[in-house]
Amino acid sequence: MRTAAVDVLLAVTVASEALCVLGVFAGATVYDRLHYAGATTSVPPFLVFLAILLKQPHPYTNPVWNALFVAVALFFLNGVLTHAIARVARQREANDLEL
Amino acid sequence: MNAFLWAGTALVALELPLLLLATRAPRLDALVAVEAGASIWTLALVLLSQGFHRSAYTVLGLAAAVLSFAGSMVFVRFFERELDP
Repeated sequence: MRTAAVDVLLAVTVASEALCVLGVFAGATVYDRLHYAGATTSVPPFLVFLAILLKQPHPYTNPVWNALFVAVALFFLNGVLTHAIARVARQREANDLEL
Repeated sequence: MNAFLWAGTALVALELPLLLLATRAPRLDALVAVEAGASIWTLALVLLSQGFHRSAYTVLGLAAAVLSFAGSMVFVRFFERELDP
C-alpha cells in the first residue's frame, strides 16, 4: 500500500513538473513563463517530501528532515525570486529597455 | 531501478527543454528558464539521493536550493543595475 502511494506521489510530481516545463517553454511573454516557473515549487516539492516520508520506516530520519527543508526553502525562495524577476521585467518595460 | 530513480531521471530529462530555452530566448526569459531549471534540478538531486540510498546526499538538494536562489538574484541585480542612470 505504501509503495503504491509513493509511486503515485512521484508520478504526480513528474507530471506536474512536466506541465510546468511545457508552460515555461511555450509561454508567450516573460510573465506567462514566470507563472509556470513559480508553479514548479508550489506543490511538487511537498509531494517529494511525502513520498520520502512514506518510504522511511521512521518519520524522524535525516532524509525526511532534509526533504522538508528543501520543500520549504524552495517554496519561499522561489516565490521571492519570481517576484524579483517580475519586478525587474516591469521596470525594464517601463523604461523601454530590452527584456 | 526504483521509483525514486525513475522520477529523478525524468526530472533531469526535463532540464533539456529549459536548457534550450536558456540558450535561445531573450535574456529575462532565459533567466526564468534558469529559475525553473534550478528548482527542478534541486528536486532531482533529492530524488536521486533517495533512489541510490545515499541519504546524506539530500543535503546537496538543500545547498542547491539556497545557492541557485542566490545565483539568480545576482542576475536580477545585474538587470536592475542597467536601469540606473
